[in-house]
Amino acid sequence: MHALIQGVILGVLTGGVYALMASGQTLIFGIMKVINLAQGAFVILAAYLAYQLFVSFGVDPFLSIPVTTVVMFGLGVGVQVLFLRPLRREDKAELSLLVTFAVALLVEGVLSVTWNTTHRSINTSYANDSISLWSFQITEVRLWAFLLSLAALGGLYLVLNRTRFGRAVRATVQNPDAALLLGVEAQRVSALGFGLGAATAAAAGSIYGLLYPFNAGSHYDLISRLLSIVVLGGMGSVGGAVIAAMIVSTSSAVVASTLSPVWSEMTFFVILLLVLLIRPQGIFGTAGRGAI
Amino acid sequence: MALRNRLRRAAPIGAVALLLAVPVGACSSQSNQGTSKSGPLVIGASISLTGDFADPGKAVKAGYDLWASTVNAKGGILGRPVQFKIVDDTSSPDQVVTNYQNLINKDKVDLVVGPFSTLLTIPASQVAKRYGYAFLEPAGGGPKVFDQKLDNLFFVQPAPVVKQGDVFADWVLSLPADQRPKTAAYTELDDPFATPIAENLRSRFEAAGIKTVYKQVYPAETQDYSPIMAKVVAVKPDMLVGGTQSEDAYGQVKSLVQLKFSPPFMFLSNGANSPVEFPDKVGAGNTTGIMSSGDWFPGSTAAGSADFAAAYIKAHGGTADSIDNSSAEAYAVGQVIEAVAKKTGKIDNATIISTLHQGSWPTVLGDLSWDANGAPTGSFHLVQWQNGKLVPVFPAATAAGNKPLFPKPNWGSG
Repeated sequence: MHALIQGVILGVLTGGVYALMASGQTLIFGIMKVINLAQGAFVILAAYLAYQLFVSFGVDPFLSIPVTTVVMFGLGVGVQVLFLRPLRREDKAELSLLVTFAVALLVEGVLSVTWNTTHRSINTSYANDSISLWSFQITEVRLWAFLLSLAALGGLYLVLNRTRFGRAVRATVQNPDAALLLGVEAQRVSALGFGLGAATAAAAGSIYGLLYPFNAGSHYDLISRLLSIVVLGGMGSVGGAVIAAMIVSTSSAVVASTLSPVWSEMTFFVILLLVLLIRPQGIFGTAGRGAI
Repeated sequence: MALRNRLRRAAPIGAVALLLAVPVGACSSQSNQGTSKSGPLVIGASISLTGDFADPGKAVKAGYDLWASTVNAKGGILGRPVQFKIVDDTSSPDQVVTNYQNLINKDKVDLVVGPFSTLLTIPASQVAKRYGYAFLEPAGGGPKVFDQKLDNLFFVQPAPVVKQGDVFADWVLSLPADQRPKTAAYTELDDPFATPIAENLRSRFEAAGIKTVYKQVYPAETQDYSPIMAKVVAVKPDMLVGGTQSEDAYGQVKSLVQLKFSPPFMFLSNGANSPVEFPDKVGAGNTTGIMSSGDWFPGSTAAGSADFAAAYIKAHGGTADSIDNSSAEAYAVGQVIEAVAKKTGKIDNATIISTLHQGSWPTVLGDLSWDANGAPTGSFHLVQWQNGKLVPVFPAATAAGNKPLFPKPNWGSG
């Protein structure tokens, strides 16, 4: 029982971080129907930026997030304008897979040349501190990371639901043609939406770097998890991605705590398979139109 | 963990490369004797300067280069200056075969020495065998290397990888019965270079009556160690043996610190023996009392060790702590070649092969000796973190007066 509860605590805290990463991914899909295979690489790039700011200038990775967010947003807009916009509309879905994968490889290459292949981690003075709650230990970094993820998700929610830009995004997701007719500038929304998706990678990167050691190759593991979460939640649904992230990370942490860590990684994909068999559009996905 | 995945993917490619390489080798003549030559002694090596093994590969190269400059400053080998011909294998088992074939057939080097990793050493050693070249190698110590039963191969480290941790059992079992741990937990990475070390220790401890209260093998993809460590904490073992590589060692320690449990005896097969990375990753205050095993360490009194460290610092800067063990191991390869020449007055492949199967050979790693398959027959040193430094503590002969510290103090007390 004790192990089970400890597992749930870990799963929920980790789930928040994955929710943040996957929300950016699913947002990009929702707006542009582009499956962004570079999202994992963006997270790792942001983790390296936070690492370097910490090592060179002693900036706490939580405090460097505003800086990295701006950088990642700019990068996202740049990638969209340079590489995705020129694609023809009819084969955008297929070609964007190749293009974003190429971007991921490019980022990986630059990272491994710059920081070589050694694993890095951001070791703050509080990295190993934990809070005892009854007989359970809650790692402080995870708790802060969880709260920050919630805050970032909250910010994303406000942007999408309370701003003119958010309304344009939602309109584009629900019906791109009608949005265009009503004067939504699809090109601009796409570029800013891609930037916003990449910007979520900034906060996620800082947190990832605090929690796990990483190197340039880490994005492969990450992107497979993110894609599973996005598909599970329903592609394009931010709320679905949050719920899906919670489900998968809690269940894999519980399996690791109660059964064996050997089965934990598999849990992720077993759940995905089951959902695809029973509800192919994902938990919150809609068969036809987009949802957010 | 992408690196390990790539290794797995690379294995079948390597097998195919070997098959392709066989006919080429079969029709080549055996032309290896560089005996009565004068002029420079050219030694060929294929090293991973790019790809997955680039970092350790460069450390190996640094060791070879350092030895060459040291020996040349003393007038070379039998009056011949040493010259390395180093080519990049991009960490690929295909390329390594091509490289050694070219070094031997095209460049007609006098000797060849090994690349980095077991994965690359196996195909490379077979090429060397085919042409009658001796194959001293610093970094291929997995069981499959010795399963080949090659008489030309010599693994230049004190012991094969799987026996790396045995020195910890030697020490624990040397303690009086009432001071020994009664219970033990084993957490092992599912990896051919980690699990066997811990399993070797487990069988020795179980035979000596130390009860196994928990054992868990975890996959390379594991990111969160707290579920595993929470279970270790639940059984409160006297001793924790981690069959670790690197990141997982840091992950285990961090989780234990967070869960506030410090086992009285703690041994990690790898990761904890890295003088720079380990304190950086887990926090210097959390290292005290953790044990590991190593072949070379700063302050070692083995043959030529002080000269090696001084030359390294002179060439690369930094301190003795920043010297990668792979450099010391590569340097030891050179020392062995030097010793053969000194003892026999000759330097050719046949002499090296026939000479090294007997006797003991002093190097920076200690005195080395080999069995018929090239597996070294010595043992590693037990090292422990004390006052923020990694020091040898057992066997006493090489411990320079350091005593093992036990029970391990609590976290953060370093």
